[in-house]
Amino acid sequence: MSMGRFLLKRTLQGIFVIWGVVTAVFLLRFITPGSPITFVAPLDASQELRQQIARELGLNKPFYVQYLDYLFNLLQGDMGYSYISGTEASNLIFARLPATLELAVAASIVAVVLSIPLGVISATRRHEPADYAATSFSLVGISTPNFWLGIMLVLLLSVQFGFFPTSRRGIGLGPALGMLVTQAKISGLTTWLSHITLPAITLGTYFTALITRLTRSGMLDELGKPYVRASRAKGLPETLVRYKHALRNTLIPVVTVLGLQLGTLIGGAVITEAVFAWPGLGTLLINAINARDWPLIQGSLIVIGAGFVIINIFVDALYARLNPQVVH
Amino acid sequence: MAQDESASRRTFLKTAGAAAATASVAGCTGGGGQDTSTTTSGSDTTTDSGTGTTESGGENMGDFPVTITQGQMPSTLDPQNHRETPTDNVVLHAYEGLLARDRKGKAQAELATEWERTSDGVVKFQLREGVTFHSGNDLTPEDVAFSINRIVKEDVSIASPQSDQLSGVTGASVVDGERAVEVQSDGLNPIVFSLFATYCDIMEKQWVQDRSKSEVAKDMNGTGPFKLENYQENVQVRLSRNEDYWREPAAVSTLTFRAAKESSTRVNQLLEGETDVIVNVPPQEIGRVKGSGSARIAAVPSTRIIYNAMRYDAEPFSSPKFRQAMNYAIDLNSILENILSGFGDATGQPTLEGFTGYNSNVSAYAANKSRAETLVEESGHAGVSITLHTPVGRYLKDVEIAQAVSNQINQLSNVSCSVKQRDFGALAGQLTDGNLETSPKFYLIGWGNATFDASQTIIPLLTTDGALTSYSNENVDSTIQEAQNTGNADQRSSLLQQTNKTLHDEAPWIFLNRQYSVYGVSQSVAWQARRDERIDAYAMEPKQ
Repeated sequence: MSMGRFLLKRTLQGIFVIWGVVTAVFLLRFITPGSPITFVAPLDASQELRQQIARELGLNKPFYVQYLDYLFNLLQGDMGYSYISGTEASNLIFARLPATLELAVAASIVAVVLSIPLGVISATRRHEPADYAATSFSLVGISTPNFWLGIMLVLLLSVQFGFFPTSRRGIGLGPALGMLVTQAKISGLTTWLSHITLPAITLGTYFTALITRLTRSGMLDELGKPYVRASRAKGLPETLVRYKHALRNTLIPVVTVLGLQLGTLIGGAVITEAVFAWPGLGTLLINAINARDWPLIQGSLIVIGAGFVIINIFVDALYARLNPQVVH
Repeated sequence: MAQDESASRRTFLKTAGAAAATASVAGCTGGGGQDTSTTTSGSDTTTDSGTGTTESGGENMGDFPVTITQGQMPSTLDPQNHRETPTDNVVLHAYEGLLARDRKGKAQAELATEWERTSDGVVKFQLREGVTFHSGNDLTPEDVAFSINRIVKEDVSIASPQSDQLSGVTGASVVDGERAVEVQSDGLNPIVFSLFATYCDIMEKQWVQDRSKSEVAKDMNGTGPFKLENYQENVQVRLSRNEDYWREPAAVSTLTFRAAKESSTRVNQLLEGETDVIVNVPPQEIGRVKGSGSARIAAVPSTRIIYNAMRYDAEPFSSPKFRQAMNYAIDLNSILENILSGFGDATGQPTLEGFTGYNSNVSAYAANKSRAETLVEESGHAGVSITLHTPVGRYLKDVEIAQAVSNQINQLSNVSCSVKQRDFGALAGQLTDGNLETSPKFYLIGWGNATFDASQTIIPLLTTDGALTSYSNENVDSTIQEAQNTGNADQRSSLLQQTNKTLHDEAPWIFLNRQYSVYGVSQSVAWQARRDERIDAYAMEPKQ
């Protein structure tokens, strides 16, 4: 199978996954306690007002009509209107997406930049102080709750020393880069960096620790394999053995985990978003769930599902590049 | 009047109960103050040259930006399509009502200069001259009538969730040849002016009609002291001073609203000077704010009461003695001191101090364990186990208060109590489905009453046909009906006080605390907190 067909197959599978998400969420809304009308109408609203609101939101229609209407509108790019705000769900979701992606990618960069060298050093200097330091770091990183780390970082680096803003996004990466390109001003980029640093570290620490451990164990495993001994016996330089052969094979599971984690971050950075008042998709989704704002819930899950699918296709492609046997 | 008298008690209470939407359990909009201009005679007229909602305005016309951080962003900018305090706090800087309230809740003029009852069920508002919308167009009686009808009539524009806030109002029309609007009600509607002092923001008819519902939700065009400059949905709202305001322009030059869900995040922002006013400072953070030197605490009793409802139709709560026992089991002062750090007042009746109908001769139940145990024995329910359902994070320290209540009940030798934490949506769904039997027998909830009138708490919560009732008592029903049908303010107040005494004795709730609004305020901003949970930036000035 060619790479093109391989990716096409994955894409089609992804579309079915998203359709499955939409269908599952539609089923869920009918078995989840709590009506959206409870949140749109006041608690003491008359039954007449509740019925009026139900009519306006289209909630009085049969399930299958609502479902088919939604699918039909979705195919035209219409995710419906938020029950709570009355505005387009797609606008609310896509306004949040850049902040979410920036944070997820920044956290992943923090994780990759720190964890792979740490894991390699830890594996190649086994039972040395560097190994102990790296494994201790990874243990602490995995054990530290995000919310606690975030609060501590803010109290220390923002409130105590004033190095960083306490919270908020400040400016988007796009406008910051725009300022740099069109006005030759770096202030936008420094503002962006100052705002994203602490959330990225908070979110990235767990993944740094996780991938450090994964890289270390992977490297140790690879370095003990016969092909490494053979390479060494052939007289290949140790650097080449470690970084061209052993590390490359170690990266296959690392890339897979990174891809999955990046997908998780798109919808799951709720705690970090709350601590840093970061306007991301996770908070939007949780608020929508709490308010039973189904158009927003469905739209958010579609976008998160699509994010997972895209990332997984990308990871599959990368996986295939690292190990061409996958395609076949 | 005759029309009202002919109405059946059930019809009356159903209408009034359903319409008593002046408050809500779920963090709804505020307001407050005595209905000083409520009259029954057609000749009574109230006038005011109009100082408006607050007592400030800009002597200082320089640059004075202010940022306010709430727990959540406004859900919409349509002032008539929501029921949330955080949304009101934003939109009421751009939109205004016919009447308004001052900081302490007293009703006063805003876009209306005179208001009078012309007959039973009909009132007239004379409109202020020289008021323009942010669009530049003049305020007209047509705009006012449209705004009222947009709320109370589904076919005008939207099914407004505020229709119940204008209790009993059926519509509005322009008075021929006058700059005035006539508002019709179903029945006497004795608190109609009080309702208009709290609710009904005026919009420009043509502006609304030219826009879709979604567009109205993302833009603002009112007559208020601030104009919308920039709106990033769910991120921030920025307003700028309206230089053409009908009163003195505000001292605040630009007003930015942001949100941070976590209270510690809000406090950090305040202490670092990233914001100027924050809401809901929790008791554990108060010391940090006070000790910072850069910020202070501004706290004020709100219009919200926290209570534990006990369903009258379910054992063991069907016994008045058992319900009284639960009140005696609670050490309310300990809860106020240890959980709320003093930011709360004890209650002993459903009506808060300062409201019309508050009975000053009624005190909170004093903790008395032995009396509680005796009453439980006498009720015949000794040995019973009960479960207190509580929402999580909906009200200040709700779970902690519920746990304290449960622990104190558990200290009785003949009752055991546990706490069940509930998702607010699911709990609210059970309470509002119109079937009392699906509600938990025993639950913690809060109720905000923005009108400062006892009826707007008692009718929805404690009458037989109340929209959110847990209690039924013929005596209470008939007294409330009588109060709502009387035009004599003193007599009405007396009837409401009598009802409060009955309710204290019958103990349909465990009466808990009056919630406080606790703000953190930058030392650079001069501002006093309001009782109605509204944050009014027009009243802010730079601190000298």
